[in-house]
Amino acid sequence: MSYGYTGKILRVDLTRATIQIETRDDAFYRLYPGGKAIAAYFLVRELPPHTEPFAPENRLMLANGLLTGAPFSTATRYTAAARSPLTRAYGESEAGGFWGPELRMAGWDAILITGRAESPVYLWIRDDHVEIRDARHLWGRDPLEVQETIRTAHNDPLIRVLQIGIAGENRVRYAALTNDLRHFNGRNGIGAVMGSKNLRAIAVRGTTRYLDRAYDPQPIAELGRALAQRVKVHPQSWDLQDKGTPGLMDSLNAAGILPTRNFHQGAFEGIDALRWVEYEKHLLTARRSCYACAVRCKREVRLDGQVSAYGGPEYETLDSLGPNCGIGDLHALARANELCNRYLLDSISTGSTIAFAMECFEHGLIGLKETDGIELRFGNADAMLKMIEMIARRQGIGDLLAEGVRRAAETIGGDAREFAMHVKGQELPMHDPRGKVGIGIGYAISENGADHLTSAHDPTIANPDSITFKGGQPLGIEAVPSRELSERKVRNYYILENWTSAGKVLGLCFFGPAPRSFIQVDEVVGAVRAATGWDVTTQDILRIGERATNLARMFNAREGFSHKDDTLPNRLFQPLENGALAGAFISRPDFERALVELYRLKGWDAKGTPTREKLRELGIEWAADSSQ
Amino acid sequence: MHLHLAGHLAWYDAQKRAHLEIHLAEPTRLLTLLRQLGVPPEEIAIVVVNDAPVTLDARVCDTDRVELFPPVGGGSA
Repeated sequence: MSYGYTGKILRVDLTRATIQIETRDDAFYRLYPGGKAIAAYFLVRELPPHTEPFAPENRLMLANGLLTGAPFSTATRYTAAARSPLTRAYGESEAGGFWGPELRMAGWDAILITGRAESPVYLWIRDDHVEIRDARHLWGRDPLEVQETIRTAHNDPLIRVLQIGIAGENRVRYAALTNDLRHFNGRNGIGAVMGSKNLRAIAVRGTTRYLDRAYDPQPIAELGRALAQRVKVHPQSWDLQDKGTPGLMDSLNAAGILPTRNFHQGAFEGIDALRWVEYEKHLLTARRSCYACAVRCKREVRLDGQVSAYGGPEYETLDSLGPNCGIGDLHALARANELCNRYLLDSISTGSTIAFAMECFEHGLIGLKETDGIELRFGNADAMLKMIEMIARRQGIGDLLAEGVRRAAETIGGDAREFAMHVKGQELPMHDPRGKVGIGIGYAISENGADHLTSAHDPTIANPDSITFKGGQPLGIEAVPSRELSERKVRNYYILENWTSAGKVLGLCFFGPAPRSFIQVDEVVGAVRAATGWDVTTQDILRIGERATNLARMFNAREGFSHKDDTLPNRLFQPLENGALAGAFISRPDFERALVELYRLKGWDAKGTPTREKLRELGIEWAADSSQ
Repeated sequence: MHLHLAGHLAWYDAQKRAHLEIHLAEPTRLLTLLRQLGVPPEEIAIVVVNDAPVTLDARVCDTDRVELFPPVGGGSA
């Protein structure tokens, strides 16, 4: 008997317009319980090596976490994956919201899509009923209109719609997906892969209940009730509810690691206009939630006197399009956020790319001729807004910037390569590793390019008496200062990378489990036991995360990625220009030693490839053969 | 004295206030003040008084502007 998962995976071939149901047994799910693990399994197992990201043969995977849809806070996440058009590596992006839980309620663990439809289509799923439908009338439309049209067509306002926007249609290499208009699989350009398949949306309605499939529903229901009560009495979850991620602006600026002017600086002189108190006063209309989540960290804002359908700016968006572009105009940032979310551009890569272009402009590498007369200087909010439009529509210089900073720098030439803040082709998120070096290890080593959600952030585990450190302590970590780049920092990184990866397999938000927030380590283990009946321990959960990461790494090894790609932009090895950490930089020898130590801990060879012994230990020796 | 409790530090104020006006009759050590307010020092990463970084041993007076930041966003050097 199997519990927790549904055991059913949907296969859709858009070229042949065929739909197949695949079932998998308990032995499969014990190795690949969901999310990142299922996505990486199918991409390594089935995607022919060296498949071009926009070729019909590329696989688009949408995979629920093992616990996605369970009725407790933060169990909402699903993985969108494919070979990334931005990095050409294993590509992945997680999102919360409502679509993943709805897919589970419809009876599916994952969807595997291949091929390319002749003309635009959308997928319609109602429990076991699956249909490919014409979407020519939806192509080029705004997401709000697409969602309303689909709900009206099927006469059901509770349908959950996952979709791309015009950026995905235009194959912008960092195009995003959204569900319910306010939840985003932002990174790695998975939206562009979906666009290349002529697939505009996947609409889902399900009528089953997660608890009906659980081995022991009672502990899961009790956890849901306990977390709903705990959310206001735990300082971390309370803060996420009170301010959400925009509350980070203040603290990162004070710490001197608020990326400013394309990572030249760590503090922004215009911060006062961007503090939470201003956001709350001028923008906020409501605090919103994902499925069954009591944290309610999502913001709703007003723009031009009306509530925006597309949610409010998160921290990453505020900084990438704000201080990182030298901009301190909160209303312009709310507008920029709405534009990114309407066109479905990843707001991190969009901001990083515009900051890159501004630096190129200020150094004369591009001029008014290239920008169609736009003064693309740091601090010019109107230029930033115009660039978002041009990127989404691939107009003028937007066509070049839609390729991401790595490709744009290669075309522009000269010093532009030094201004391109990326790892493996993916633009840096808004966390400066010069103040939290573990984040730098994560940027460098992540299989999907610079990613700020591969492990815990150093400051949360720096003080042994802090709530966050104590929450993570059962994992076997030790307290290490944020800027210390040592063997013990690497060991912490390794443990917490496995834990964070497990979260992506289980479908838990980064803002759920300790050390970041309010769900304790033993509660995560208990939820897996109750859902599945498996007799698992904390070590087993860490192993689940490690297996998924190693599979993704094997995907990259097959595509020629190695230790030479595990690096950081030169700028991070140079001193910060201002703020509390003025003069701070990452020591390149320390950084390189740390990576060698991390490979050793992970059981990888000197090239950064998992050894056969390591893969055997993880129960995935087959992956060693598939990569040759 | 104006006190800004950034991030989750505001949770420790009984009324969950991020910004407080406090009257200090005489210069007071920050650690003493925090004990009175119930804000645990281990949750504080950065202390800024009148735009300058200081430690929790610093003394503050009634005209000061004090900002306390938690470790989630960033750490101290």
